Amino acid sequence: MSTVLSLQNIAKSYGPVRALAGVSFDVPEGSVFGILGPNGSGKTTLLGIVMDVLKANSGDFRWFGQPGSPEHRKKIGSLLETPNFYTYLSATDNLKITQSISGRGDAAEIESVLKKVNLFERRKYRFSSYSLGMKQRLAIAAALLGNPKVLVLDEPTNGLDPVGIAEIRQLIMDLSKQGHTIIMASHLLDEVEKVCTHVAILKTGTLLTTGHVDEVLSDEDTVELSAPNLQQLAAFLQNAGEQVTVDEKAGTLILTLPKGSSNLEDINRRCFENGIVLNHLLLKKKRLEAKFFELTNN
Amino acid sequence: MIQLIKTEWLKMKKYSAFWWVLGLTALSYPGINYMFFKIYDQMASNQTTGGKLIKAAIGNPFAFPESWHTAAYFSSWFIFIPAVVVIMLISNEYSFRTHRQNIIDGWSRSQFVSSKLIDVLIISIMITLLYTAVALVTGFTNMEDSTGDNFNKAYFTGLFFLQTFSQLSIAFLIGFLVKKAFIALGIFIFYFLILENILVGVFRLKLGDAGRFLPFEISDRMVPPPAFLSKLDSPENYQKAFDNIPLHIGLTVAFTVIIWAICYRINNKRDLK
Repeated sequence: MSTVLSLQNIAKSYGPVRALAGVSFDVPEGSVFGILGPNGSGKTTLLGIVMDVLKANSGDFRWFGQPGSPEHRKKIGSLLETPNFYTYLSATDNLKITQSISGRGDAAEIESVLKKVNLFERRKYRFSSYSLGMKQRLAIAAALLGNPKVLVLDEPTNGLDPVGIAEIRQLIMDLSKQGHTIIMASHLLDEVEKVCTHVAILKTGTLLTTGHVDEVLSDEDTVELSAPNLQQLAAFLQNAGEQVTVDEKAGTLILTLPKGSSNLEDINRRCFENGIVLNHLLLKKKRLEAKFFELTNN
Repeated sequence: MIQLIKTEWLKMKKYSAFWWVLGLTALSYPGINYMFFKIYDQMASNQTTGGKLIKAAIGNPFAFPESWHTAAYFSSWFIFIPAVVVIMLISNEYSFRTHRQNIIDGWSRSQFVSSKLIDVLIISIMITLLYTAVALVTGFTNMEDSTGDNFNKAYFTGLFFLQTFSQLSIAFLIGFLVKKAFIALGIFIFYFLILENILVGVFRLKLGDAGRFLPFEISDRMVPPPAFLSKLDSPENYQKAFDNIPLHIGLTVAFTVIIWAICYRINNKRDLK
Protein backbone atom coordinates (compact mmCIF):
# COMPACT_ATOMS: atom_id res chain seq x y z
CA MET A 1 0.00 0.00 0.00
CA SER A 2 1.58 3.33 -1.01
CA THR A 3 1.75 6.40 1.18
CA VAL A 4 -0.45 9.39 0.40
CA LEU A 5 1.00 11.76 2.98
CA SER A 6 4.23 11.44 4.89
CA LEU A 7 5.20 13.76 7.76
CA GLN A 8 8.77 13.98 8.96
CA ASN A 9 9.51 15.75 12.22
CA ILE A 10 7.09 18.65 11.70
CA ALA A 11 7.55 21.37 14.33
CA LYS A 12 5.68 24.63 14.70
CA SER A 13 5.62 27.34 17.34
CA TYR A 14 3.53 30.48 17.73
CA GLY A 15 5.95 32.70 19.62
CA PRO A 16 6.66 30.93 22.92
CA VAL A 17 3.79 28.48 22.42
CA ARG A 18 4.85 25.16 20.95
CA ALA A 19 2.03 23.88 18.72
CA LEU A 20 3.78 20.85 17.19
CA ALA A 21 6.93 19.15 18.46
CA GLY A 22 8.48 17.00 15.76
CA VAL A 23 5.45 15.04 14.55
CA SER A 24 6.05 12.17 12.10
CA PHE A 25 3.64 9.63 10.63
CA ASP A 26 2.48 8.20 7.32
CA VAL A 27 -1.03 8.11 5.91
CA PRO A 28 -1.54 4.94 3.83
CA GLU A 29 -3.51 5.07 0.60
CA GLY A 30 -7.16 4.08 0.98
CA SER A 31 -7.22 4.65 4.74
CA VAL A 32 -9.60 6.76 6.80
CA PHE A 33 -6.98 8.41 8.97
CA GLY A 34 -8.20 10.10 12.15
CA ILE A 35 -6.06 12.77 13.79
CA LEU A 36 -7.25 12.99 17.36
CA GLY A 37 -6.44 15.22 20.22
CA PRO A 38 -7.95 17.54 22.78
CA ASN A 39 -8.46 21.21 21.94
CA GLY A 40 -5.11 22.89 21.36
CA SER A 41 -3.30 19.64 20.60
CA GLY A 42 -2.14 20.84 17.17
CA LYS A 43 -4.56 18.98 14.86
CA THR A 44 -5.61 22.03 12.84
CA THR A 45 -2.06 23.42 12.81
CA LEU A 46 -0.86 20.13 11.35
CA LEU A 47 -3.49 20.18 8.60
CA GLY A 48 -2.79 23.88 7.96
CA ILE A 49 0.88 23.06 7.36
CA VAL A 50 0.21 20.25 4.89
CA MET A 51 -2.23 22.51 3.02
CA ASP A 52 0.38 25.35 2.96
CA VAL A 53 -1.60 27.98 4.84
CA LEU A 54 0.83 27.71 7.76
CA LYS A 55 4.61 27.45 7.61
CA ALA A 56 6.37 24.80 9.69
CA ASN A 57 9.45 25.93 11.63
CA SER A 58 11.16 22.69 10.71
CA GLY A 59 10.43 19.28 9.27
CA ASP A 60 9.17 18.11 5.95
CA PHE A 61 6.02 16.69 4.44
CA ARG A 62 5.37 14.91 1.18
CA TRP A 63 2.20 14.32 -0.78
CA PHE A 64 2.35 11.22 -2.97
CA GLY A 65 6.10 11.02 -2.33
CA GLN A 66 6.80 14.56 -3.53
CA PRO A 67 7.19 17.92 -1.77
CA GLY A 68 3.80 19.62 -1.34
CA SER A 69 2.81 21.93 -4.21
CA PRO A 70 -0.25 23.78 -5.56
CA GLU A 71 -0.71 20.99 -8.11
CA HIS A 72 -1.07 18.47 -5.29
CA ARG A 73 -3.52 20.67 -3.40
CA LYS A 74 -5.72 20.96 -6.49
CA LYS A 75 -6.24 17.20 -6.34
CA ILE A 76 -7.21 17.24 -2.65
CA GLY A 77 -10.67 18.12 -1.40
CA SER A 78 -10.26 20.08 1.83
CA LEU A 79 -12.27 21.55 4.65
CA LEU A 80 -10.08 23.34 7.18
CA GLU A 81 -11.56 24.80 10.37
CA THR A 82 -14.48 26.96 9.25
CA PRO A 83 -16.30 27.06 5.89
CA ASN A 84 -14.63 29.91 3.97
CA PHE A 85 -16.77 31.39 1.20
CA TYR A 86 -17.71 34.74 -0.36
CA THR A 87 -20.76 35.77 1.67
CA TYR A 88 -22.38 37.79 -1.14
CA LEU A 89 -22.31 34.85 -3.56
CA SER A 90 -24.66 31.87 -3.80
CA ALA A 91 -23.63 28.26 -3.20
CA THR A 92 -23.35 27.67 -6.94
CA ASP A 93 -21.24 30.79 -7.54
CA ASN A 94 -18.94 29.91 -4.64
CA LEU A 95 -18.42 26.42 -6.02
CA LYS A 96 -17.66 27.94 -9.43
CA ILE A 97 -14.74 29.72 -7.76
CA THR A 98 -13.59 26.46 -6.13
CA GLN A 99 -13.86 24.83 -9.55
CA SER A 100 -12.00 27.66 -11.27
CA ILE A 101 -9.06 27.53 -8.83
CA SER A 102 -8.76 23.77 -8.39
CA GLY A 103 -9.84 22.67 -11.85
CA ARG A 104 -11.91 19.96 -10.15
CA GLY A 105 -15.42 19.27 -11.44
CA ASP A 106 -17.67 21.09 -13.91
CA ALA A 107 -21.11 22.75 -13.93
CA ALA A 108 -22.91 19.39 -13.84
CA GLU A 109 -20.79 18.21 -10.93
CA ILE A 110 -21.47 21.38 -8.99
CA GLU A 111 -25.17 20.51 -9.13
CA SER A 112 -24.41 16.91 -8.26
CA VAL A 113 -22.41 17.70 -5.09
CA LEU A 114 -25.03 20.24 -3.99
CA LYS A 115 -27.64 17.49 -4.26
CA LYS A 116 -25.39 15.11 -2.33
CA VAL A 117 -25.21 17.51 0.65
CA ASN A 118 -28.90 18.51 0.40
CA LEU A 119 -28.26 22.10 -0.63
CA PHE A 120 -29.56 21.95 -4.19
CA GLU A 121 -32.88 23.64 -3.34
CA ARG A 122 -31.00 26.53 -1.70
CA ARG A 123 -28.23 26.72 -4.30
CA LYS A 124 -29.19 30.22 -5.48
CA TYR A 125 -29.33 31.74 -1.99
CA ARG A 126 -26.49 33.86 -0.71
CA PHE A 127 -23.98 32.14 1.56
CA SER A 128 -24.64 34.82 4.20
CA SER A 129 -28.23 33.57 4.55
CA TYR A 130 -27.15 30.01 5.41
CA SER A 131 -27.30 28.39 8.85
CA LEU A 132 -24.09 27.02 10.40
CA GLY A 133 -25.02 23.50 9.33
CA MET A 134 -25.72 24.60 5.74
CA LYS A 135 -22.37 26.41 5.60
CA GLN A 136 -20.65 23.25 6.77
CA ARG A 137 -22.48 21.20 4.14
CA LEU A 138 -21.40 23.64 1.43
CA ALA A 139 -17.80 23.26 2.60
CA ILE A 140 -18.17 19.48 2.34
CA ALA A 141 -19.67 19.92 -1.16
CA ALA A 142 -16.62 22.00 -2.15
CA ALA A 143 -14.32 19.29 -0.82
CA LEU A 144 -16.20 16.61 -2.76
CA LEU A 145 -16.18 18.56 -6.04
CA GLY A 146 -14.48 16.60 -8.81
CA ASN A 147 -14.49 13.40 -6.74
CA PRO A 148 -10.92 13.86 -5.41
CA LYS A 149 -9.07 10.71 -4.36
CA VAL A 150 -7.86 12.39 -1.17
CA LEU A 151 -9.96 14.40 1.28
CA VAL A 152 -8.69 16.46 4.22
CA LEU A 153 -11.52 17.17 6.64
CA ASP A 154 -11.07 19.17 9.82
CA GLU A 155 -13.99 18.55 12.19
CA PRO A 156 -16.35 17.73 9.29
CA THR A 157 -19.42 17.29 11.50
CA ASN A 158 -19.12 20.72 13.16
CA GLY A 159 -22.48 22.45 13.34
CA LEU A 160 -24.42 19.52 11.91
CA ASP A 161 -27.55 18.05 13.50
CA PRO A 162 -27.65 14.30 14.36
CA VAL A 163 -29.09 13.44 10.95
CA GLY A 164 -26.37 15.48 9.24
CA ILE A 165 -23.69 13.80 11.36
CA ALA A 166 -24.99 10.35 10.41
CA GLU A 167 -25.08 11.39 6.72
CA ILE A 168 -21.46 12.57 6.79
CA ARG A 169 -20.42 9.39 8.60
CA GLN A 170 -22.11 7.31 5.89
CA LEU A 171 -20.58 9.48 3.18
CA ILE A 172 -17.07 8.94 4.61
CA MET A 173 -17.64 5.19 4.81
CA ASP A 174 -18.93 5.12 1.22
CA LEU A 175 -15.95 7.14 -0.03
CA SER A 176 -13.61 4.82 1.85
CA LYS A 177 -15.20 1.78 0.18
CA GLN A 178 -14.61 3.43 -3.19
CA GLY A 179 -10.90 3.65 -2.37
CA HIS A 180 -10.65 7.33 -1.35
CA THR A 181 -8.14 8.32 1.29
CA ILE A 182 -9.65 10.50 4.01
CA ILE A 183 -7.60 12.41 6.56
CA MET A 184 -9.88 13.62 9.31
CA ALA A 185 -9.15 15.68 12.40
CA SER A 186 -11.70 15.41 15.14
CA HIS A 187 -12.24 15.44 18.85
CA LEU A 188 -15.45 13.43 18.48
CA LEU A 189 -14.02 10.05 19.41
CA ASP A 190 -17.23 8.16 18.83
CA GLU A 191 -17.35 9.43 15.24
CA VAL A 192 -13.71 8.59 14.62
CA GLU A 193 -14.10 5.11 16.06
CA LYS A 194 -17.01 4.43 13.74
CA VAL A 195 -15.28 5.44 10.53
CA CYS A 196 -11.49 5.46 10.91
CA THR A 197 -9.13 2.66 9.95
CA HIS A 198 -6.04 4.45 11.29
CA VAL A 199 -5.45 7.05 14.00
CA ALA A 200 -2.79 9.41 15.25
CA ILE A 201 -3.29 10.80 18.75
CA LEU A 202 -1.77 14.17 19.59
CA LYS A 203 -1.43 15.98 22.88
CA THR A 204 0.01 19.49 23.19
CA GLY A 205 1.79 19.06 19.87
CA THR A 206 3.33 15.69 20.64
CA LEU A 207 2.39 12.50 18.84
CA LEU A 208 1.38 9.95 21.49
CA THR A 209 0.64 7.02 19.22
CA THR A 210 -0.25 6.21 15.63
CA GLY A 211 -1.19 3.14 13.63
CA HIS A 212 -4.11 0.95 12.62
CA VAL A 213 -7.08 1.44 14.94
CA ASP A 214 -7.03 -2.21 16.03
CA GLU A 215 -3.33 -2.02 16.85
CA VAL A 216 -3.68 1.20 18.80
CA LEU A 217 -6.67 0.02 20.78
CA SER A 218 -5.83 -3.58 21.52
CA ASP A 219 -2.80 -3.42 23.78
CA GLU A 220 -4.61 -5.99 26.00
CA ASP A 221 -7.58 -8.34 25.72
CA THR A 222 -10.71 -7.54 27.66
CA VAL A 223 -13.22 -10.33 28.16
CA GLU A 224 -16.66 -9.58 29.53
CA LEU A 225 -18.53 -12.48 31.13
CA SER A 226 -21.36 -13.18 33.54
CA ALA A 227 -23.11 -16.06 35.26
CA PRO A 228 -26.23 -16.42 37.47
CA ASN A 229 -23.95 -16.36 40.55
CA LEU A 230 -21.51 -13.50 39.88
CA GLN A 231 -19.68 -13.83 43.22
CA GLN A 232 -19.01 -17.52 42.62
CA LEU A 233 -17.65 -16.72 39.15
CA ALA A 234 -15.44 -13.93 40.50
CA ALA A 235 -14.05 -16.14 43.26
CA PHE A 236 -13.28 -18.94 40.80
CA LEU A 237 -11.40 -16.66 38.39
CA GLN A 238 -9.48 -14.88 41.16
CA ASN A 239 -8.44 -18.23 42.62
CA ALA A 240 -7.22 -19.16 39.16
CA GLY A 241 -4.95 -16.10 39.30
CA GLU A 242 -6.83 -13.96 36.77
CA GLN A 243 -7.14 -10.18 36.95
CA VAL A 244 -10.84 -9.55 37.47
CA THR A 245 -13.00 -6.47 37.90
CA VAL A 246 -16.61 -6.80 38.99
CA ASP A 247 -19.21 -4.45 37.52
CA GLU A 248 -22.08 -4.95 39.96
CA LYS A 249 -24.34 -2.50 38.19
CA ALA A 250 -24.05 -4.21 34.82
CA GLY A 251 -23.92 -7.65 36.41
CA THR A 252 -20.75 -8.57 34.58
CA LEU A 253 -17.10 -9.40 35.21
CA ILE A 254 -14.25 -7.90 33.24
CA LEU A 255 -11.30 -10.22 32.73
CA THR A 256 -8.10 -8.48 31.57
CA LEU A 257 -5.57 -10.66 29.75
CA PRO A 258 -2.30 -10.02 27.90
CA LYS A 259 -2.82 -8.96 24.26
CA GLY A 260 -3.70 -11.92 22.02
CA SER A 261 -3.85 -14.46 24.89
CA SER A 262 -7.61 -14.72 25.38
CA ASN A 263 -9.23 -18.02 24.53
CA LEU A 264 -12.99 -17.86 25.00
CA GLU A 265 -13.50 -21.56 24.44
CA ASP A 266 -11.01 -22.40 27.20
CA ILE A 267 -12.60 -19.96 29.64
CA ASN A 268 -16.05 -21.39 28.95
CA ARG A 269 -14.84 -24.99 29.40
CA ARG A 270 -13.00 -24.25 32.67
CA CYS A 271 -16.02 -22.52 34.15
CA PHE A 272 -18.39 -25.31 33.11
CA GLU A 273 -16.07 -28.00 34.51
CA ASN A 274 -16.18 -26.15 37.82
CA GLY A 275 -19.95 -26.03 37.94
CA ILE A 276 -20.41 -22.48 36.63
CA VAL A 277 -22.66 -21.97 33.63
CA LEU A 278 -21.91 -18.74 31.80
CA ASN A 279 -24.76 -16.73 30.33
CA HIS A 280 -22.55 -14.08 28.70
CA LEU A 281 -19.05 -14.29 27.22
CA LEU A 282 -17.60 -11.60 24.94
CA LEU A 283 -14.15 -10.49 23.80
CA LYS A 284 -14.40 -6.68 23.98
CA LYS A 285 -12.49 -4.21 21.92
CA LYS A 286 -11.26 -1.36 24.03
CA ARG A 287 -13.21 1.80 23.28
CA LEU A 288 -11.24 4.54 21.59
CA GLU A 289 -12.50 6.93 24.21
CA ALA A 290 -10.93 4.87 27.01
CA LYS A 291 -7.65 4.62 25.11
CA PHE A 292 -7.69 8.32 24.38
CA PHE A 293 -8.20 9.24 28.03
CA GLU A 294 -5.55 6.76 29.04
CA LEU A 295 -3.00 8.29 26.66
CA THR A 296 -3.86 11.90 27.29
CA ASN A 297 -4.11 11.39 31.07
CA ASN A 298 -7.53 13.01 31.25
CA MET B 1 -3.03 34.26 -16.10
CA ILE B 2 -6.38 33.72 -17.87
CA GLN B 3 -7.46 31.45 -15.03
CA LEU B 4 -6.58 34.15 -12.47
CA ILE B 5 -8.59 36.75 -14.40
CA LYS B 6 -11.54 34.39 -14.77
CA THR B 7 -11.55 33.60 -11.04
CA GLU B 8 -11.30 37.27 -10.05
CA TRP B 9 -14.17 38.05 -12.43
CA LEU B 10 -16.29 35.38 -10.70
CA LYS B 11 -15.57 37.13 -7.38
CA MET B 12 -16.32 40.63 -8.69
CA LYS B 13 -19.19 40.33 -11.10
CA LYS B 14 -21.86 39.86 -8.45
CA TYR B 15 -20.25 42.09 -5.82
CA SER B 16 -22.65 45.01 -5.77
CA ALA B 17 -20.38 47.32 -3.71
CA PHE B 18 -17.76 47.02 -6.45
CA TRP B 19 -20.19 48.26 -9.12
CA TRP B 20 -21.62 51.00 -6.90
CA VAL B 21 -18.19 52.48 -6.22
CA LEU B 22 -17.23 52.20 -9.88
CA GLY B 23 -20.46 54.00 -10.73
CA LEU B 24 -19.57 56.73 -8.25
CA THR B 25 -16.14 57.03 -9.88
CA ALA B 26 -17.77 57.27 -13.31
CA LEU B 27 -19.77 60.25 -12.04
CA SER B 28 -17.04 61.99 -10.08
CA TYR B 29 -14.35 62.11 -12.77
CA PRO B 30 -16.47 63.91 -15.38
CA GLY B 31 -18.09 65.91 -12.57
CA ILE B 32 -14.90 67.55 -11.27
CA ASN B 33 -13.74 68.35 -14.80
CA TYR B 34 -17.08 69.87 -15.70
CA MET B 35 -17.09 71.96 -12.52
CA PHE B 36 -13.69 73.49 -13.31
CA PHE B 37 -14.67 73.94 -16.94
CA LYS B 38 -17.66 76.02 -15.85
CA ILE B 39 -15.43 78.16 -13.60
CA TYR B 40 -13.00 78.75 -16.46
CA ASP B 41 -15.82 79.37 -18.90
CA GLN B 42 -17.33 82.06 -16.69
CA MET B 43 -13.98 83.77 -16.29
CA ALA B 44 -13.05 83.59 -19.98
CA SER B 45 -16.44 84.56 -21.36
CA ASN B 46 -16.26 87.75 -19.35
CA GLN B 47 -15.72 90.43 -21.96
CA THR B 48 -13.67 92.56 -19.57
CA THR B 49 -9.96 93.14 -20.05
CA GLY B 50 -9.20 90.57 -17.30
CA GLY B 51 -11.17 87.86 -19.06
CA LYS B 52 -9.46 88.53 -22.38
CA LEU B 53 -6.05 88.55 -20.68
CA ILE B 54 -6.63 85.13 -19.08
CA LYS B 55 -7.67 83.64 -22.39
CA ALA B 56 -4.70 85.17 -24.19
CA ALA B 57 -2.19 84.07 -21.54
CA ILE B 58 -3.18 80.46 -20.97
CA GLY B 59 -5.48 79.55 -23.84
CA ASN B 60 -8.37 77.21 -23.21
CA PRO B 61 -7.18 74.42 -20.86
CA PHE B 62 -10.19 72.32 -21.81
CA ALA B 63 -9.49 72.43 -25.53
CA PHE B 64 -7.15 70.04 -27.35
CA PRO B 65 -4.35 69.31 -26.72
CA GLU B 66 -4.37 70.83 -23.20
CA SER B 67 -7.51 68.88 -22.23
CA TRP B 68 -5.36 65.73 -21.85
CA HIS B 69 -3.33 67.47 -19.15
CA THR B 70 -6.21 69.25 -17.43
CA ALA B 71 -8.45 66.17 -17.23
CA ALA B 72 -5.58 64.06 -15.87
CA TYR B 73 -4.84 66.58 -13.14
CA PHE B 74 -8.39 67.02 -11.89
CA SER B 75 -9.31 63.34 -12.22
CA SER B 76 -6.34 62.32 -10.08
CA TRP B 77 -7.88 64.12 -7.11
CA PHE B 78 -10.51 61.40 -6.87
CA ILE B 79 -8.21 58.41 -6.62
CA PHE B 80 -9.60 57.73 -3.15
CA ILE B 81 -12.88 56.52 -4.68
CA PRO B 82 -11.45 53.56 -6.66
CA ALA B 83 -9.07 53.06 -3.71
CA VAL B 84 -12.16 52.08 -1.70
CA VAL B 85 -12.78 49.24 -4.16
CA VAL B 86 -9.17 48.08 -4.04
CA ILE B 87 -9.13 48.03 -0.23
CA MET B 88 -12.47 46.20 -0.13
CA LEU B 89 -11.28 43.54 -2.56
CA ILE B 90 -8.34 42.58 -0.37
CA SER B 91 -9.96 43.08 3.04
CA ASN B 92 -12.91 40.91 1.94
CA GLU B 93 -10.51 38.05 1.37
CA TYR B 94 -9.35 38.39 4.98
CA SER B 95 -12.80 38.77 6.51
CA PHE B 96 -14.18 35.78 4.54
CA ARG B 97 -10.88 33.91 5.17
CA THR B 98 -10.82 33.12 1.47
CA HIS B 99 -7.17 34.25 1.36
CA ARG B 100 -6.56 30.84 2.98
CA GLN B 101 -9.20 28.95 1.03
CA ASN B 102 -7.82 30.06 -2.35
CA ILE B 103 -4.46 28.53 -1.37
CA ILE B 104 -6.08 25.37 0.02
CA ASP B 105 -8.00 24.99 -3.24
CA GLY B 106 -4.79 25.07 -5.26
CA TRP B 107 -3.40 28.55 -5.89
CA SER B 108 0.18 29.23 -4.94
CA ARG B 109 0.70 32.12 -2.54
CA SER B 110 2.25 34.12 -5.38
CA GLN B 111 -0.77 33.44 -7.59
CA PHE B 112 -3.00 34.92 -4.89
CA VAL B 113 -1.01 38.19 -4.88
CA SER B 114 -0.88 38.11 -8.70
CA SER B 115 -4.67 37.85 -8.80
CA LYS B 116 -4.88 41.04 -6.75
CA LEU B 117 -2.24 42.72 -8.90
CA ILE B 118 -4.46 41.92 -11.87
CA ASP B 119 -7.46 43.45 -10.04
CA VAL B 120 -5.54 46.68 -9.44
CA LEU B 121 -4.34 46.71 -13.05
CA ILE B 122 -7.87 46.17 -14.40
CA ILE B 123 -9.31 48.90 -12.16
CA SER B 124 -6.50 51.25 -13.24
CA ILE B 125 -7.26 50.51 -16.91
CA MET B 126 -10.98 51.16 -16.35
CA ILE B 127 -10.22 54.46 -14.60
CA THR B 128 -7.81 55.43 -17.40
CA LEU B 129 -10.46 54.67 -20.03
CA LEU B 130 -12.87 56.89 -18.10
CA TYR B 131 -10.26 59.66 -17.98
CA THR B 132 -9.62 59.24 -21.72
CA ALA B 133 -13.32 59.63 -22.43
CA VAL B 134 -13.46 62.79 -20.29
CA ALA B 135 -10.38 64.26 -22.02
CA LEU B 136 -11.79 63.47 -25.46
CA VAL B 137 -15.25 64.86 -24.72
CA THR B 138 -13.94 68.08 -23.16
CA GLY B 139 -11.35 68.42 -25.96
CA PHE B 140 -13.82 67.99 -28.78
CA THR B 141 -16.47 70.14 -27.08
CA ASN B 142 -14.00 73.03 -26.73
CA MET B 143 -12.21 72.60 -30.04
CA GLU B 144 -11.44 76.01 -31.48
CA ASP B 145 -8.72 75.31 -34.02
CA SER B 146 -9.19 72.15 -36.05
CA THR B 147 -5.72 72.49 -37.59
CA GLY B 148 -3.86 71.95 -34.29
CA ASP B 149 -2.40 68.66 -33.13
CA ASN B 150 -5.17 67.40 -30.87
CA PHE B 151 -3.17 64.50 -29.56
CA ASN B 152 0.27 65.93 -28.89
CA LYS B 153 -0.42 65.76 -25.12
CA ALA B 154 -2.15 62.38 -25.26
CA TYR B 155 0.94 60.99 -23.49
CA PHE B 156 -0.81 62.13 -20.31
CA THR B 157 -2.95 59.00 -20.72
CA GLY B 158 0.11 56.89 -19.94
CA LEU B 159 1.13 59.17 -17.07
CA PHE B 160 -2.38 59.11 -15.64
CA PHE B 161 -2.47 55.31 -15.84
CA LEU B 162 0.88 55.00 -14.06
CA GLN B 163 -0.18 57.51 -11.41
CA THR B 164 -3.47 55.67 -10.85
CA PHE B 165 -1.83 52.25 -10.72
CA SER B 166 0.86 53.46 -8.32
CA GLN B 167 -1.60 55.14 -5.95
CA LEU B 168 -4.03 52.21 -6.02
CA SER B 169 -1.05 49.97 -5.26
CA ILE B 170 -0.45 52.04 -2.10
CA ALA B 171 -4.13 51.51 -1.21
CA PHE B 172 -3.66 47.78 -1.78
CA LEU B 173 -0.55 47.65 0.40
CA ILE B 174 -2.39 49.37 3.26
CA GLY B 175 -5.35 46.95 2.92
CA PHE B 176 -2.97 44.01 2.62
CA LEU B 177 -1.11 44.91 5.81
CA VAL B 178 -3.96 46.28 7.92
CA LYS B 179 -6.54 43.64 6.85
CA LYS B 180 -9.53 45.53 8.27
CA ALA B 181 -11.39 47.53 5.62
CA PHE B 182 -12.47 50.51 7.72
CA ILE B 183 -9.10 50.97 9.39
CA ALA B 184 -7.29 50.67 6.06
CA LEU B 185 -9.67 53.14 4.41
CA GLY B 186 -9.26 55.56 7.30
CA ILE B 187 -5.46 55.39 7.08
CA PHE B 188 -5.51 55.77 3.29
CA ILE B 189 -7.87 58.73 3.20
CA PHE B 190 -6.28 60.49 6.17
CA TYR B 191 -2.82 60.14 4.66
CA PHE B 192 -3.88 60.94 1.08
CA LEU B 193 -6.07 63.94 1.83
CA ILE B 194 -4.45 65.40 4.94
CA LEU B 195 -1.17 64.07 6.26
CA GLU B 196 0.88 63.99 3.08
CA ASN B 197 -0.23 67.50 2.08
CA ILE B 198 0.87 68.75 5.49
CA LEU B 199 4.17 66.88 5.22
CA VAL B 200 4.87 68.27 1.76
CA GLY B 201 4.27 71.79 3.12
CA VAL B 202 6.43 71.20 6.21
CA PHE B 203 9.21 69.64 4.12
CA ARG B 204 9.11 72.63 1.79
CA LEU B 205 9.75 74.96 4.72
CA LYS B 206 12.42 72.81 6.39
CA LEU B 207 13.96 70.53 3.77
CA GLY B 208 13.47 72.23 0.44
CA ASP B 209 11.58 70.02 -2.01
CA ALA B 210 12.16 66.69 -0.22
CA GLY B 211 8.38 66.24 -0.01
CA ARG B 212 8.37 65.15 -3.63
CA PHE B 213 9.69 61.75 -2.50
CA LEU B 214 6.62 61.03 -0.36
CA PRO B 215 4.47 58.10 -1.58
CA PHE B 216 1.70 60.00 -3.38
CA GLU B 217 3.76 63.04 -4.29
CA ILE B 218 6.20 60.85 -6.26
CA SER B 219 3.47 60.02 -8.77
CA ASP B 220 1.50 63.28 -8.41
CA ARG B 221 4.51 65.11 -9.87
CA MET B 222 4.10 63.19 -13.14
CA VAL B 223 0.96 65.26 -13.73
CA PRO B 224 1.83 68.82 -12.64
CA PRO B 225 -0.88 71.45 -12.15
CA PRO B 226 -2.13 72.70 -15.55
CA ALA B 227 -1.08 76.06 -16.91
CA PHE B 228 -4.07 78.05 -15.75
CA LEU B 229 -3.39 77.05 -12.14
CA SER B 230 0.36 77.61 -12.05
CA LYS B 231 1.80 79.21 -15.15
CA LEU B 232 0.54 82.68 -14.32
CA ASP B 233 2.14 82.54 -10.86
CA SER B 234 5.54 81.24 -11.91
CA PRO B 235 6.37 80.25 -15.48
CA GLU B 236 9.80 78.98 -14.30
CA ASN B 237 8.28 76.59 -11.79
CA TYR B 238 5.77 75.42 -14.40
CA GLN B 239 8.59 74.54 -16.80
CA LYS B 240 10.63 72.95 -13.99
CA ALA B 241 7.69 70.70 -13.08
CA PHE B 242 7.54 69.52 -16.70
CA ASP B 243 11.30 68.93 -16.78
CA ASN B 244 11.00 66.71 -13.69
CA ILE B 245 8.34 64.41 -15.18
CA PRO B 246 10.85 61.79 -16.52
CA LEU B 247 12.53 61.58 -13.10
CA HIS B 248 9.17 61.01 -11.42
CA ILE B 249 8.20 58.35 -13.95
CA GLY B 250 11.31 56.43 -12.91
CA LEU B 251 10.66 56.98 -9.20
CA THR B 252 7.01 55.94 -9.54
CA VAL B 253 7.87 52.74 -11.40
CA ALA B 254 10.54 51.86 -8.82
CA PHE B 255 8.25 52.68 -5.89
CA THR B 256 5.38 50.61 -7.32
CA VAL B 257 7.65 47.65 -8.00
CA ILE B 258 8.83 47.82 -4.38
CA ILE B 259 5.23 47.84 -3.11
CA TRP B 260 4.35 44.67 -4.99
CA ALA B 261 7.66 43.00 -4.10
CA ILE B 262 6.80 43.60 -0.42
CA CYS B 263 3.34 42.06 -0.91
CA TYR B 264 4.72 38.97 -2.66
CA ARG B 265 7.43 38.49 -0.06
CA ILE B 266 5.16 38.87 2.95
CA ASN B 267 2.48 36.60 1.53
CA ASN B 268 5.01 33.90 0.66
CA LYS B 269 6.52 33.91 4.16
CA ARG B 270 3.74 34.47 6.64
CA ASP B 271 1.14 32.18 8.18
CA LEU B 272 -2.24 32.76 6.57
CA LYS B 273 -4.50 33.10 9.60
